[in-house]
Amino acid sequence: MKALEDKSLANPNDERLLVEAAREDPARFGELYENNFERVYAYLARRARDRDEAQDLTAEVFHQALAGLPRYEWRGLPFIGWLLGIAANVLADRWQRATRLQEVVTGELEQVGVEDDVERRAILYQIVDSLPADQRQVILWRFVGQKSLREMAAELGRSEGAVKQLQLRALQNLRERIS
Amino acid sequence: MANISVADQLDDAIEMMIAEPGSAPPRVDLKIGELLGIAAELRLLPDPAFRVALKVELLGASSSQTTAIAGVERKPARSDREAVLPTLFGAGSQHHPSSREGFGVSVALHAALLLGIAASGLWLVNGSELTPQVHTIFIADTVSMPRTADGRDSGGGTREKQPETKGSLPRVAREQLTPPTIVVPREQPKLAEDMTLVGPPELSQPQTSQVGNPLASILGPPSNGSGSGGGIGTGHGGGIGGGEGAYRVGGGVSAPRPIYDPDPEYSDEARQAKYQGTVMLWVVVGADGRAREIRVQQSLGMGLDEKAIQAVRGWKFAPGMKDGVPVAVQVNIEVVFRLL
Repeated sequence: MKALEDKSLANPNDERLLVEAAREDPARFGELYENNFERVYAYLARRARDRDEAQDLTAEVFHQALAGLPRYEWRGLPFIGWLLGIAANVLADRWQRATRLQEVVTGELEQVGVEDDVERRAILYQIVDSLPADQRQVILWRFVGQKSLREMAAELGRSEGAVKQLQLRALQNLRERIS
Repeated sequence: MANISVADQLDDAIEMMIAEPGSAPPRVDLKIGELLGIAAELRLLPDPAFRVALKVELLGASSSQTTAIAGVERKPARSDREAVLPTLFGAGSQHHPSSREGFGVSVALHAALLLGIAASGLWLVNGSELTPQVHTIFIADTVSMPRTADGRDSGGGTREKQPETKGSLPRVAREQLTPPTIVVPREQPKLAEDMTLVGPPELSQPQTSQVGNPLASILGPPSNGSGSGGGIGTGHGGGIGGGEGAYRVGGGVSAPRPIYDPDPEYSDEARQAKYQGTVMLWVVVGADGRAREIRVQQSLGMGLDEKAIQAVRGWKFAPGMKDGVPVAVQVNIEVVFRLL
């Protein structure tokens, strides 16, 4: 399993405290959600047909995680492993393809690891948020909103050429930051 | 020019990729290929609105879960009949003795409650109860006024007793070497540079011979104003005008992120008129994560501007950061009022 560099996992004690706080008060689950959203989503998006399905599966995983939190036992392993175990089971249930998912379901949910490409994609999703606001907006419009160049240009009050440049700079920025 | 060509090629390839997701990637050169690979990974980029909505849903579920857990009490096992209608058939739980009269009262109360729910449903249909849906968009690089060398909008001054004098803005440039000043210091620099404001050069306006604050009311005698920082005005910084100064997003300054953002209420007036639309607010989010200054950029009226301001004033943000330090940052917040 690739070493996890995220700030939330840099100090296992911090994560343990978050988990314990969320077990005592489920309203604290929000922090665990924020810290792990991208990885869970990236894991599911890699296997989903489209964004709607990936989002649907992600919602199911976090709902199950919240419901199962009282039964979760801290064993010193990253919380994301437990979440990805739930994700694998959700996928198996959804598509009834348990045999194909044996590669990730190992019996012990905590043992499910973060694959390198999932980790890369999760980081990519995270760093989109760190782009300058106009570049981030163009990326979101282009890939999430699927807006045309003309629509984006009209919204931003810029020429289509300027929006293309903005898109190019955003992707170059992402390439530099992810590498 | 080569860069423009790259941008065109890349956009064409992305267009094709989005239109036909299953098709083979177009032949492009290596430089574009790398970027196209990233674009391909972005095709399933999560919708930020989904992320926020799911969190809200989970936290809502968690509060009901808390209630449910708090309400659970371990009780002795009962028969199915007692479990369904414990008050009528059961001998009663340890806490609530059974009573047929009580059952009758309960039925009457439940019937009244159901009637109440049905009536409120009718009222909803006829009266259109409105629930505001709110989302926020932070927009950077919407520079409409020149700013200072360090990226902040702020005034200036040289701590003079007299208010700054009226005049035109100096030239606008990408970098500021000399802040604007009306009263030129006696000691001249060895290498003189034109005074400038920082901003897009296309913002430059027709100038008169007298540099100053265009909004000032005093024509003379010349004064830089009572502020500090070397500019003109009552604020602190190398710009023109007042204010403490706030960064704009970009150039190493990250946007603040709302972490507690309850929805605004609908005004009664707008609800009755079934009025909806968008209020655009200009907000300075302080280093303490609170909205410090709020101005309406795009008004909606019918009391919704006030409701939007009232809500945003109570929001808590993770502040914008510059070099790892929380700083005040300007953002635009779009508050969308919709009938759901």
